[in-house]
Amino acid sequence: MRLLILSGYILLSLFTSTGLANTNRHCSQFGPITFGILPFVSAEQLVIRFTPLVNYLSRHLNTQIRIETAPNFIAFSQRTTKDKRYGILFTAPHFYPLARKAGYRLIASVDSPGMRAVFVVPKASTIQNINDLKGRRLATVDTKSLATLLIRKHLNQHNINPDKDLNIIATPTHNASLLSTYHGVTDASALMQPPYAAASQQVRDNMRIIAKTQRAPHIPISVSERISKSCAAEISHLLLDMTSTAEGRQVLEHNRFSGFRLSSAAEYEKFSEQIFHP
Amino acid sequence: MKNLANRFFIRKASQKYKKTFMTKSIPLLQSLRCRLIVSVVIIEIVMLSILVLNNISIIQTTHTDRLRDTASSMIQQIANTSGSYMVAVDYATLEDYLKNVTHYRELLYLAIFDRDDNMVISLGPFPQKNRPHDDISPAQTDDEIFDITEDIKVAGQPMGKVSIGFSLGIMQDAIKKARIRGISIAAIEIILTVLVTVAIGIGLTRRLGILSNAAAEVEAGNYSVTVPTEICDEVGKTAIAFNRMVSEVSNRSQQLQRAKSRSTKLLRENRQLIHYSLEIQEAERKHLARELHDELGQCLTAIQADAELIRDLSDNDKRIETSAVAIMDVSSRVYDVVHSMMHRLRPGILDNLGLVEALKDEIKAWESRNTETRCNFTTRGDLSQLSEHSNIMLYRIVQECLTNICKYAQAKTVTISLQNTTEKLLLEVRDNGNGFDIKQHNKGLGLIGMRERVESLNGSLKIKSEPGKGVGIFISVPLS
Repeated sequence: MRLLILSGYILLSLFTSTGLANTNRHCSQFGPITFGILPFVSAEQLVIRFTPLVNYLSRHLNTQIRIETAPNFIAFSQRTTKDKRYGILFTAPHFYPLARKAGYRLIASVDSPGMRAVFVVPKASTIQNINDLKGRRLATVDTKSLATLLIRKHLNQHNINPDKDLNIIATPTHNASLLSTYHGVTDASALMQPPYAAASQQVRDNMRIIAKTQRAPHIPISVSERISKSCAAEISHLLLDMTSTAEGRQVLEHNRFSGFRLSSAAEYEKFSEQIFHP
Repeated sequence: MKNLANRFFIRKASQKYKKTFMTKSIPLLQSLRCRLIVSVVIIEIVMLSILVLNNISIIQTTHTDRLRDTASSMIQQIANTSGSYMVAVDYATLEDYLKNVTHYRELLYLAIFDRDDNMVISLGPFPQKNRPHDDISPAQTDDEIFDITEDIKVAGQPMGKVSIGFSLGIMQDAIKKARIRGISIAAIEIILTVLVTVAIGIGLTRRLGILSNAAAEVEAGNYSVTVPTEICDEVGKTAIAFNRMVSEVSNRSQQLQRAKSRSTKLLRENRQLIHYSLEIQEAERKHLARELHDELGQCLTAIQADAELIRDLSDNDKRIETSAVAIMDVSSRVYDVVHSMMHRLRPGILDNLGLVEALKDEIKAWESRNTETRCNFTTRGDLSQLSEHSNIMLYRIVQECLTNICKYAQAKTVTISLQNTTEKLLLEVRDNGNGFDIKQHNKGLGLIGMRERVESLNGSLKIKSEPGKGVGIFISVPLS
């Protein structure tokens, strides 16, 4: 009997210690952690833009963190929800609720009042306002992208039927959308403001913003359930504390982020509800 | 007609050349034809070998460089292009892309590895068990496959690796074909060169052989030979010059022959003249000696007899007696002088007792005049049957020799040897005196006189002498 009790105690201790161990594992104890980034720009642009941040995290977490993306939004979404492929997730605000259902825990978001999409036309274009877009070709990104959802909502709010009153052309990335208008392939382009701000000066000097959409919460950063709480806390702390160091500020400046802040899942749930079910 | 004759001559000359020149068995290495052919062939083989080896090296380098550049270019392109797909983990699209861009015959395999070195795409038979090592160059592979690997990077960040392998078979086949083609061309060129060189060599040496043969004919004295000159190349010009030279030599030779004949005739006549002159001289001397003996001798004897008679009849008249004695002395002195002259003109002993006794008498008289010199005279064989001409000539020669010895030699000993060998008469006169340099003193009048006397006997004269080693005079006169 005593032996049975002892065996049970040992098994319980092992189970508990394993669970605790997993919970308390530091990031340095993990193998390479995949940093999944939504393909809102080309893969190369993503790497260029996020490499300093990833290297910063790798150095301070003492583990290897790898950038990874997907061919498109749908593939990224599937890899997030079904494959749970990414250790750290950098996805669009309206995709986070789905990720959350797949076990991703919000650890921070970009410290910003929010993002909005902009309508831009060539500087010399006759299009002056959003109503002039009727019957014109409007370049956007993926149909599931935040930009597309925001502009569709914005068009609807202005009594413009995006499926009938104008011709929406989906392009692979924000850059592709902007450049199609710059080169005259399309009459106007709708894209998120951060990618527009990151476009080359020459392009921006020849373009003109004719409208802006409502704001959306900025990018959430979450971790998968494979990542231990300790490691998640390490990542969160590191992100939130970036503004306190020169190195962190330099990285943030490279990404055009003002910093990271804590945020709640409810914020994104609410926005998602608004955007998908207006 | 002339051409026909020339061709006939060429054929005949060729046959003769083959018979003489070829059968003289010239050593193979000394044969001009052989040396020409061997030299040209060796040069051809060496130069063509260098050329072929150089070409093969260039072809090999070109193919190797081409494959390396192709591989390098392809792997760079794939590495650059694959980055975005690797970041997006879009292997399916990447594989489709790779399938489209890798239609290359020499490409054996292509493999893409992710950041964990797991193979995510494999086109072609990638060697799973023994993962290939990178090769520096297609020329330095260990398995007939040129393997290279390149990192896939995006913005400097490693995203994986691409590894490709090129089969060297096609390149090696191309090199092999080029090598065979080069060697074949070189072999054909060598064969053609040999054939052409042999043809030229035979043509050239055949005509040289004709020239050589003709030269041999000329050397043998046949100046009527001519060589064909119908082909006006270097050998043809040489043949023309040869014919001209032969013609000139022939003319000169004929002129020389005529001059020689004329000279021989003159020499013969001259000798006859000398002989005749000497005969006349000796005859005149003999006649003069006889006249002196017969006329002046009788007169002197008569004067002597008359002077003696006057002395006897002087009756002690001292003046008459003295005059008579003086006449007797003078006449006696004149007689001695005349006798001496007669002896010099024609020694009577020579006619009366022969050559040997005359020479002994002469030598004795000479010794009495040269008391410090001893003269040995020896004879052998029968010397009594010599002609009068031979006797006087030999006597005069010995007389001249002794006179020369007395004048110049200051010799202690003189040896004179005279012998009859039944075929010829040999006279040797040697002394141990001062001697002289023959090159400087062989044209004195005495020697010329001796030579003339010997030649009048159809004999020969040799003189041997060196300064300080005396003189030897050797005379040989045929008795026939």
